[in-house]
Amino acid sequence: MRWVQRAPEVYQAMIALDAAARKGVDPGLAELVKIRASQLNKCAFCLDMHLTDARKAGESEERLQLLVAWAEAPDHYTAKERAALALTEAITVLTDGFVPDDVYATAAAQFDETELAQLIALITTINAWNRFGVSTRMTPGKA
Amino acid sequence: MAFWGQMSAFGRAQLRLTTAAKKGLGDPVLAELVVLRASQLNRCAFCIDMHVKNLHEAGVEPRRIDLLPAWEETGDLYTAKERAALALTEAVTVLTDGFVPDDVYATAAAHFDETELAHLLAVIVAINNWNRVNVTIRQPPGEEL
Repeated sequence: MRWVQRAPEVYQAMIALDAAARKGVDPGLAELVKIRASQLNKCAFCLDMHLTDARKAGESEERLQLLVAWAEAPDHYTAKERAALALTEAITVLTDGFVPDDVYATAAAQFDETELAQLIALITTINAWNRFGVSTRMTPGKA
Repeated sequence: MAFWGQMSAFGRAQLRLTTAAKKGLGDPVLAELVVLRASQLNRCAFCIDMHVKNLHEAGVEPRRIDLLPAWEETGDLYTAKERAALALTEAVTVLTDGFVPDDVYATAAAHFDETELAHLLAVIVAINNWNRVNVTIRQPPGEEL
């Protein structure tokens, strides 16, 4: 289904949501968060797009490949990145485990309130894109 | 956390998304049922509280609100169209545990034309976004955002 053509006002609102969500978030961190959420939600289109973007921005191949197992490769990611990735996973896998207090507290220790609000918005927005992508079976590499 | 106060542009975009989605679907009661079911799965107390009230105010029969968590077991309490929408809601919401099965999508596509289906999907995505933020920031039921 071509949802962008069928619901253009929805798509425009998604673009506005995305722009508001990513404001001020470190672009490298934003890509890691978007890739990890897209892996969990199994959105091939989104994964392909954000891996391409991250590589263009100079992200290391090792960090991209280990991202699915980031908790087991702690020295490849900063404490701030790990806190953001843990929050990403909790918010993404929401129906199976809530957002634990300790995950939130760890993120709150690494990000100030404004940064944390932006990070939460970024995580929910990639979840929104993932849901459109998966549900409409968007194909990798095609807009 | 004072999320919504800080994220006003995000909040406006989220409202815009929700309005566009519901308008395109064109069935306010169905939209409220879908939104309540997603909020139940995501366990967003603030959202459940709001949408139960909306359904009562819309004059929906209380049994249709009470039995929504078990809609599949309720015989004819929900129409075939509503059941197709609820199944799609559950699949899109519980995305990390099971994908969106082809048959769930096909059943929805049999009840909704492509434009309606795109907007139904947008209603589901929008409420998932509200749920994720409000659960994460522990928004208490009944309080203003």
